[in-house]
Amino acid sequence: MSNDKILSVDEIRGTLKKMKEGVKKQPGLMKSTYRYLDAVSGYVERIANAKDEGAWVASHGTQQPLEILEAMDVRGVFNEFWGVVSDIARLESVPEAMSVSASLGTPGEVCSFFRNMDGLMHVGKWPRSDMFLYAASVCDNVKAFHTLGRRYGIPSFGLERSFLPYTAHAIEFWKNEYKRLIAFLEEQTGKKMDYDRLKDVVAKSYRLTELHLEIDKLVANVPCPLSPECFSATLVAIRCWPGTQYGIDFLTEVRDELQERVNNGVGAIENERFRVLWSTFTPFFDPTLMGFMQKKYGAVSVADMLSTWRVDENLQANWMLDPDDPLGNLAYRTVLAPGNCQYSTGVDVATVLSDKCRRFKVDAAIFQNNWGCKTGAGYGPVIKDELMRQVKVPTLTLHSDILDHTFISRAEIESQMDSFFEMVEASKAYEERRAVA
Amino acid sequence: MNAPLKTLNALNEMQRLTSPFPESVAVKEWKATGRFVIGWFNPYIPEEIIHAAGMLPFEVTGDNEPVQMQGAEAHIYSNSCSKIRTCWQLGLDGKYDFLDGYVSTHMCDQDMRLYEVWSYYKRLPFMELIYAPRKRTEEAVQLYLADLEGFRDRLSQYLICRIPDQRVADSIKLYNRGRELMMQLYELRKRDRPPVTGAEAVEVSKSAARMPRERFNALMEQLLDEIKRSGREIRKARRLMLIGNDLHNTTQIAALESTDAVVVVDEMDIGIRRAWGHVDTKLPPMEALARYYLMGRPVDKHTWNSDERLAFIGEMAEQYKVDGVVSENVRFCTYLGWDKFDLKKQLQERGIPILELDLEYGHPGGAQMKIRAEAFMEMLETRVA
Repeated sequence: MSNDKILSVDEIRGTLKKMKEGVKKQPGLMKSTYRYLDAVSGYVERIANAKDEGAWVASHGTQQPLEILEAMDVRGVFNEFWGVVSDIARLESVPEAMSVSASLGTPGEVCSFFRNMDGLMHVGKWPRSDMFLYAASVCDNVKAFHTLGRRYGIPSFGLERSFLPYTAHAIEFWKNEYKRLIAFLEEQTGKKMDYDRLKDVVAKSYRLTELHLEIDKLVANVPCPLSPECFSATLVAIRCWPGTQYGIDFLTEVRDELQERVNNGVGAIENERFRVLWSTFTPFFDPTLMGFMQKKYGAVSVADMLSTWRVDENLQANWMLDPDDPLGNLAYRTVLAPGNCQYSTGVDVATVLSDKCRRFKVDAAIFQNNWGCKTGAGYGPVIKDELMRQVKVPTLTLHSDILDHTFISRAEIESQMDSFFEMVEASKAYEERRAVA
Repeated sequence: MNAPLKTLNALNEMQRLTSPFPESVAVKEWKATGRFVIGWFNPYIPEEIIHAAGMLPFEVTGDNEPVQMQGAEAHIYSNSCSKIRTCWQLGLDGKYDFLDGYVSTHMCDQDMRLYEVWSYYKRLPFMELIYAPRKRTEEAVQLYLADLEGFRDRLSQYLICRIPDQRVADSIKLYNRGRELMMQLYELRKRDRPPVTGAEAVEVSKSAARMPRERFNALMEQLLDEIKRSGREIRKARRLMLIGNDLHNTTQIAALESTDAVVVVDEMDIGIRRAWGHVDTKLPPMEALARYYLMGRPVDKHTWNSDERLAFIGEMAEQYKVDGVVSENVRFCTYLGWDKFDLKKQLQERGIPILELDLEYGHPGGAQMKIRAEAFMEMLETRVA
């Protein structure tokens, strides 16, 4: 079996550097595009250079309190993000890594974020990892961390979290799991946690949350000032750079540019016909799809589920309950944080998204039914029905694979979008929204 | 090959009482007295609590007839476990309309989604979701215990009557007796010529979760007595172990056993785990339940650390002197998917051949399965030769 197309860490680094230089010369892009690619590239660099810089590396899944890692000089490799970065750098890498995974007997029905990791580990192209960290979430695939840890002799730690962690005993348990995580990290690294440093990291992380929500308010404007090339900026900041000054500087720059565009009435495109919500993942498997949608249908991606904070009536996600209790704050943060508040019932997720539809003036939703995602397969129809019931927003269900571009062709997607947007435009709800606008 | 098997009257009675599926004779008799039936979906629901409330715990499953799932797929997409789609289709078709309540755990996300779909599209008067921990630690026991206490509280409110500890303790004794009797049947299957087929054993196990436990225990006593008196024996050349997802369609097992082989042990939740061990009667009853259900049974697929699961399979294979293992994974079962590689490796190290069947839940044991089973038997024969 050929592994030629599977990207190594160094190949990803090289490609991202070239892309960064490339956008400098490309006209029409948001100024923040360079900074966005720098954030992606910098994340990869930090992982690649960890050993030389005396830092540890932990490959991990969702729901991790990354601030704890930051405070202990442990650099995270978010396994889902690594798949996305691979797609950004070379689309052919993931399918080939997954064929390696299949050759090991891993079923093709499990999530491709994990099959990609499985394949990369087998061929020795996964970033060198000192440990694996994972957490109970809705995703059952996290069992893979223990399985792969056993296979490759990498120690692992799983955080147990109640599905609905809102009772006193459940949130207390979750916080205590963080203490056990710290004990594990201390054992692995031989370092003691510096709680003053952790407080500082947590404070920076909270500032990042505030910036994210400021950006949300700007993006909700009509026309939407956010272009596809920077759509994932907030997600990258929150998932890759929490608790760092770099993350704050990055989002500050993005916010300032968006403010300027709003002030000048600059939108992603001139004639905004449809405002789209991605009610689950964005199309990682096809990085140019959002641009294509804008061009062909005038459909601007304005919001997505993964970048959604669970906000209060003042549009705040106030998780800093007690500055002297960093672990308590973090335990609560995880419950509100983007990509984590989806771990709930479909009705609850749809209610959060419906609120977002109202604020972002959404006309249509696209639900990516990711082949390997049992959560999506289970709650997709409920979310679709609730978005229609609560805010009269219709949904296109796109059966796809989150990372594998060979699963569904662009022609098939185009054919489905042709009829979907035609239907949206002819709907009474759309007419009413446009009349108000 | 086997001579005609002697009829087991107790098994026939179990099947009569649990037919037609699911709203059976036993269910109708129960409902006729005005009492409630609570459906439960996965093995982290202590039936004892429902029983202590004076209700009938009924395991929500499919059965021996395949189910067309197109209706269900309007609410749960087809890239999900066919067991949950089957059960939801039965729910949509009104087959479970006799249920007064439904309780599940977040042991597996797909189980949870079935709970949610049921709650959203066809809500029942009582619905409850419990968290089943993925770790086996003291802290996890406490987390689970708190959820079980919450379940008892809400069931008490539904009943408008507190479910006291003593009632729970009485139910524990009853269920412990049932486990003891089921385990006796497993012990008999260690014989060179076991008294029941694998398909029959699963029919027994299914009955346990579909009728009042008092009645089941009485029939189990009768069944063991009949076996003892009749000298019933299955004479087959090969002994098999069945592992993986629960198989409620016993025609699949019967198809395997239509070859010169008999299933003598399994690793299923509806099989040996249902019979395994006992709840500690010296502990406070709710704590005892939490400890038993989380720590007292062989590790299952959903526990992150599956080392013990893999070891248990190997140990049972050796104890029951099996010639081969048949692994039945329902497609889209993430948990089992991640165990496949290491399971195969471990069995290879023990010198035990494995047949991997990835089926849709509830599909009948058709020609394709028979062909694969026959090829596996030929391979086993070659090894012996």
